[in-house]
Amino acid sequence: MSNFFGLLQNENMKIYRRTSAKVMIIILLGLILTAGLIIKLNSPEPKNDHNWKQMLVQDNKNMEKQMASVKGNKQATDYFKKTIKMNEYRIDHNLKPAQGETLWSFVQGAGSNLIIVISIFTIIVVSTSIASEFDTGTIKLLLIRPIYRTEILLSKYISTLLFTVVCLITLFIASWLVGGIFFGFGGAGEAHLVYDHGTVYQSSWTLAVWKDYLLNCVSLFMMVTFAGLIAAAFRNGGLAIGLSIFTLMASSIVVSLLAKYDWVKYVLFANTDLTQYTTGSPLRDDMTLGFSLAVLVVYYIIFVLVGWLFYTRRDIKA
Amino acid sequence: MANNAAEKKPAVRLEHVSKRIGGKTIIDDLSFEIYSGEVFGFLGPNGAGKTTTIRMIVGLMRMSQGNIYIQGHSINGEFKKAIRQVGAIVENPEMYKFLTGYQNLIHYARMIPGISKDRIMEVVKLVELQDRIHEKVKRYSLGMRQRLGVAQALLHHPSVLILDEPTNGLDPQGIHDLRNYLHELSRKENVAVIVSSHLLSEMQLMCDRIGILQKGKLVGVEKVNEFIEKGAAKVRIQVDDGRLAAQAIKEKLAIETERIDETTIELPVEHEKIPVVVDTLVLSKIRIYGVAAVAKSLEDRFLEVTGGKSVE
Repeated sequence: MSNFFGLLQNENMKIYRRTSAKVMIIILLGLILTAGLIIKLNSPEPKNDHNWKQMLVQDNKNMEKQMASVKGNKQATDYFKKTIKMNEYRIDHNLKPAQGETLWSFVQGAGSNLIIVISIFTIIVVSTSIASEFDTGTIKLLLIRPIYRTEILLSKYISTLLFTVVCLITLFIASWLVGGIFFGFGGAGEAHLVYDHGTVYQSSWTLAVWKDYLLNCVSLFMMVTFAGLIAAAFRNGGLAIGLSIFTLMASSIVVSLLAKYDWVKYVLFANTDLTQYTTGSPLRDDMTLGFSLAVLVVYYIIFVLVGWLFYTRRDIKA
Repeated sequence: MANNAAEKKPAVRLEHVSKRIGGKTIIDDLSFEIYSGEVFGFLGPNGAGKTTTIRMIVGLMRMSQGNIYIQGHSINGEFKKAIRQVGAIVENPEMYKFLTGYQNLIHYARMIPGISKDRIMEVVKLVELQDRIHEKVKRYSLGMRQRLGVAQALLHHPSVLILDEPTNGLDPQGIHDLRNYLHELSRKENVAVIVSSHLLSEMQLMCDRIGILQKGKLVGVEKVNEFIEKGAAKVRIQVDDGRLAAQAIKEKLAIETERIDETTIELPVEHEKIPVVVDTLVLSKIRIYGVAAVAKSLEDRFLEVTGGKSVE
């Protein structure tokens, strides 16, 4: 493993020297800019409201009434409780609620909407990295070095995940800048309130956004691994890209169609959205975070094992 | 040769190697040895299993049976140690087209410890690509790609060099240079060179020994010179009546004449028996205008050994 760093350098070179990688980054930047423009043009100018404290007090009163009327509905009660607590915290700490789009709300929105794009890009990158060497025949010169195939495959996998990290950092910086330019850099210092079991505290937006990224990347991670498996097993990049992106797109429909069955909880895509546990409404009541993590680990091990077996055992006939 | 071989340790040794794919035997019990300091040619018609054998030697394909040793290391059991000794081009030298020639070489250099930038430039100069090395490979001609392929195979000073169809795409000057270079590598640096080629005349000039593969079996491993000389030599005789002459030889000596036309016959006959043939013709009152031994080319011999199957 001494020259594993060299292998990573090689794979990185092969990812970023391709035109496709540059195009992907440009598309990502273009999408962020376009999203910023559209939101900017469609959102009204925020009016300067000096009476915001009184309005929050009024809001809380209204909500307490509503809460009394929906007694027994735990979900609604929780929501009202949370909002009331947050409002009280704002009044106590003199934190004016943001109005309209702000730098951070834009960063957050860009994250939840564009990670699917990064998923598609990473699926393309991993499939190309693994399968294209069979198409072009370069695999024959790659595998006749004193390096085990396992190390080659691992370097391809890790360099792909590094590509995701590069995309996420690009997304974060670009959406922060675009958000700042369109909605004011003044919003950079905005407080991020977190409600946790009845108490409210302030946290960093950066942390919150990266936590979002991470949660959204669970399905990315699984689908990229799946694409790697298909690419390694069938040595066909087009098939790996097509199948993985199709599965990724169809997953939410399939899960909602199957939601009535008990066994849906064993379907991969019923478990990739971990935000279902942070928002408090899992797909099925008997599902827990631990259960989902266990399902994810089992799928992951199967994907990696099958892909690895095919990649390392099959003859190279390309 | 036999004595010589026994003294030397083989650089590559195949022991009862077989390869079966889906119940079909592609390679059948192949055993032979290749020594340091020799150029070994691999010959065989299309589908004979040359490429499969080369792929098994470099570990791209697993053998169903047997073992292959490179400098004493099993390609199965000690893959890294064995493959470290090997530089190879398998079929076409397919490089990364979106990278420059230099980036391609850097890529392979990173996979083996101890290859300096100086060594890379040394190899680049050797294959005379220094003017174009920083251009993308997609702009290279076939000959330049072939030379880049040779460069990547030589980067790490391999003691076994395997080149599949190395003269493909090279111009006559390039072929000449490559031939000289391969000879130099084998003589001076004691490298074992394995080449496969469909250009038999090229093999004749390039190789010390050749192994002929047919239908997955080794038909013979011989020194190039012995290979050509072996078997009955041919003699061409100019006579006044070809048909009569052939008839006389068939009746008296029971030798089948291979080619007959009006005034010339050609027949296989050992060197020392040529006077007997001449005597027979004279006794049969046939006039002889000329007798010439016909040197057989590698191609003739090859067709003879493989039963007249055409090559690639």
